[in-house]
Amino acid sequence: MSPRLIFIPCLALWISCCAVTLAEEDPYLIRAQSLMTETPLIDGHNDLPWQLRKNFNNQLNKVNLTTLNTTHTSIPKIKKGQIGAQFWSAYVPCDTQYKDAVRQTLEQIDVIHRMCWAYPDTFQFATSSAEIEHAFRSKKVASLIGVEGGHSIDSSLATLRTMYYMGARYLTLTHSCNTPWADNWLVDTGSEPSEHNGLSAFGKRLIVEMNRLGMLIDLAHVPVKVMNEVLEMSKAPVIFSHSSAYTICPHKRNVPDDILAKVHQKGGIVMVNFYNDYVTCSNTANLSDVADHFDHIKKVGGVDIVGFGGDYDGVTRVPEGLEDVSKYPYLVAELLRRGWTDENVKAALGENLLRVMKKVEE
Amino acid sequence: MKIGSSKSEAMVLDWKTGTCPLQVHSCRSEMSCTKTILGASCSLCMLSLRALLAFSLCRFISGYSEKERAHNLTYKYPLIDGHNDIALQLRILHNNKLSKINLTHLNKVATDISRLRAGHVQTQMFAVYVLCGAQQMDAVRLTLEQIDVVRRMCTEFPDFELVTSTQELRASAMNKKIACLISIEGGHSIDSSLPALRMFYLLGVRSMSLTHSCNTPWAESSSTFYDVFIRHNNSLTTFGKAVVDEMNRLGMIVDISHTSWGTASAVLKHSKAPVIFSHSSSYTICNHSRNVPDWLLHELKKNRGLIMVNFYSPFVSCKSEANVFHLADHFDHIKRVIGAESIGIGGDFDGGNSFPEGLEDVSKYPVIIQELLKRNWTEDELANVLRRNFLRVFEEVEGVRDYLRWKKPSEEEIPLQEVENPCRSVLQRPSLRKLSSNQSPSLRAEGSLNLLYLGLVLLFSLSLPG
Repeated sequence: MSPRLIFIPCLALWISCCAVTLAEEDPYLIRAQSLMTETPLIDGHNDLPWQLRKNFNNQLNKVNLTTLNTTHTSIPKIKKGQIGAQFWSAYVPCDTQYKDAVRQTLEQIDVIHRMCWAYPDTFQFATSSAEIEHAFRSKKVASLIGVEGGHSIDSSLATLRTMYYMGARYLTLTHSCNTPWADNWLVDTGSEPSEHNGLSAFGKRLIVEMNRLGMLIDLAHVPVKVMNEVLEMSKAPVIFSHSSAYTICPHKRNVPDDILAKVHQKGGIVMVNFYNDYVTCSNTANLSDVADHFDHIKKVGGVDIVGFGGDYDGVTRVPEGLEDVSKYPYLVAELLRRGWTDENVKAALGENLLRVMKKVEE
Repeated sequence: MKIGSSKSEAMVLDWKTGTCPLQVHSCRSEMSCTKTILGASCSLCMLSLRALLAFSLCRFISGYSEKERAHNLTYKYPLIDGHNDIALQLRILHNNKLSKINLTHLNKVATDISRLRAGHVQTQMFAVYVLCGAQQMDAVRLTLEQIDVVRRMCTEFPDFELVTSTQELRASAMNKKIACLISIEGGHSIDSSLPALRMFYLLGVRSMSLTHSCNTPWAESSSTFYDVFIRHNNSLTTFGKAVVDEMNRLGMIVDISHTSWGTASAVLKHSKAPVIFSHSSSYTICNHSRNVPDWLLHELKKNRGLIMVNFYSPFVSCKSEANVFHLADHFDHIKRVIGAESIGIGGDFDGGNSFPEGLEDVSKYPVIIQELLKRNWTEDELANVLRRNFLRVFEEVEGVRDYLRWKKPSEEEIPLQEVENPCRSVLQRPSLRKLSSNQSPSLRAEGSLNLLYLGLVLLFSLSLPG
């Protein structure tokens, strides 16, 4: 046999192995993974509970989260992605408004609780910054609840309070429908009429009650008018649980620069959404495009307002390189590659959100 | 020492002697004076007058001593009452605006803090009730609002303490607080959803009556006022049994007041834990459909459950008016049938507008105790009626919960055809949606790199001699 015929495949095989090894030894990735063991990655929004409802009727007994492979989120992927804390979204569709939105929201809150009870080695239910830190030290994923859409409370402050007692710690004021007291983001697109010119009197009363309770006010999905009103009147910092930068992608779900500045003044946070349509304003995007949003928000609003709000399992198109929740470390590596310091990264990972929560808890 | 033992409770409650300084014994001796006969006519008159005076005095003293005994007894064994509707009145009269009322002294209702104290009420189960008209509409939201007002009442007024266990209940007694338990009055509040039931439990609800005056899709009411969910020979459906199972698993007391006899019987057969009638009386004494016939009392006895006697006049005398004697007849009858250990008190104050003379509000509980003392109920029996029987039942319910701790939360769903209505959103048909490729970027990049290197190698190898 010709030596060439033996040599060539061996060389190719050896070079391939080197390539694989080189990819795994990315120093930025290694640094990212190390930082993520020191500071919890706190992601602002994940819709796995909605997938559980849609695909499995919330029948956790028929799902195995350790082997599930049809969603962005599973336990192995969470562990690989080094998620330290997750706000699980208790979302019900706008179709349920004026019907059974409240009951369905209770059912989503219930499935999040049951998920934590069913996998106690992985999840630890949390309702405060202290509990997030405790869970992280215990090497569990702190699991919090965010209610996505004011239609879930059926215009009732008492219902808001009881959802707080059940553990919900943020309310996104609207989803994609007006409530009787707040306009939603679609008003800014012109596709829906404004009913309240922002917030009604009751909507403002709701903000006061949320401040009193210590519930985070989430401005993802609201129009600019509501953003301004809430940033003006809220006594506590506010969050965008899953929104990106309007300047990078001028989608009405994103946050304009002047609002970023106000969020900074208020000590709030903008947790970047990975949905392609909000990242590049097109059907496709990549990891670098997402990092551009982080860079921009840091530049305009300061690194203190940056956070992660992937919106996994709530969207169908996610960037190349960020296909599921296991990929967070690669994004963190990219930030480091772009010159983010360790402190910058830790702030974005979780320190900013913890700061916001502690302030709101006061 | 475990706080839950009745012995420790007796030790920490203040204890006064239940004896009157002028003892019946003394009155017996006084009363024995009446049996003395004098010979002379004037002396006879004087003696008769003296006897009459002495008799009246004895009656007064014994009456007074019984009243004091009753108060002493209720002080020593302060009442756990099974049902009170002040939360409903707060909604009707004040729109749940607690900031605008004085809960210590409240007009137009039968319940306030000062009268609860006067009536020696140590624990009150406050009912969360929403109208049957809200079934399949906004019952869940209304229920949350009523849970919220009870929670606020019990956490914002320092005389109250919200409790959710027997341990907390006993501790509240030591702290001289009025313990609040939350009960839901009517299964329509859960909108046929076990998750909703669980969330209510999370909010502190520890008892639920399966119906109010309307059938639910899964249980029957004793009332036929609402013409909904009429079934035949199916008083407690499969889903209804699942509700009872889940309540047993959670440790929530199953309450069968307001249910039909068929539903009550089915529940008594199915439940693993003792159940209660939180506010029902005896059908034999007053044949109202809200009351409990003797055969059902026997089933309750087998279940080790509790009937907490309702004071509402139409259920007591079957008329719009009643008195303490009518009410005491219920206690006597139930005791005759199944024993004092199965009896409690569920006044139902503020749930109606007609209560027996002398028992108009929550300060009057000692009045019924006084009457029962006259009817020779023992201190032990009354201590059981006042609080010990309920504590036993609640502890057994908690015991069943602990026994079932291996069980997962139920995922039972009611069949859609049993509950379909315009206000109920229909879930999408389940479908598995595949995501776009999960290929990792590093592997894909590695793959590209491999090909590049292979190409270079091939190019290189082609250039090698030979």
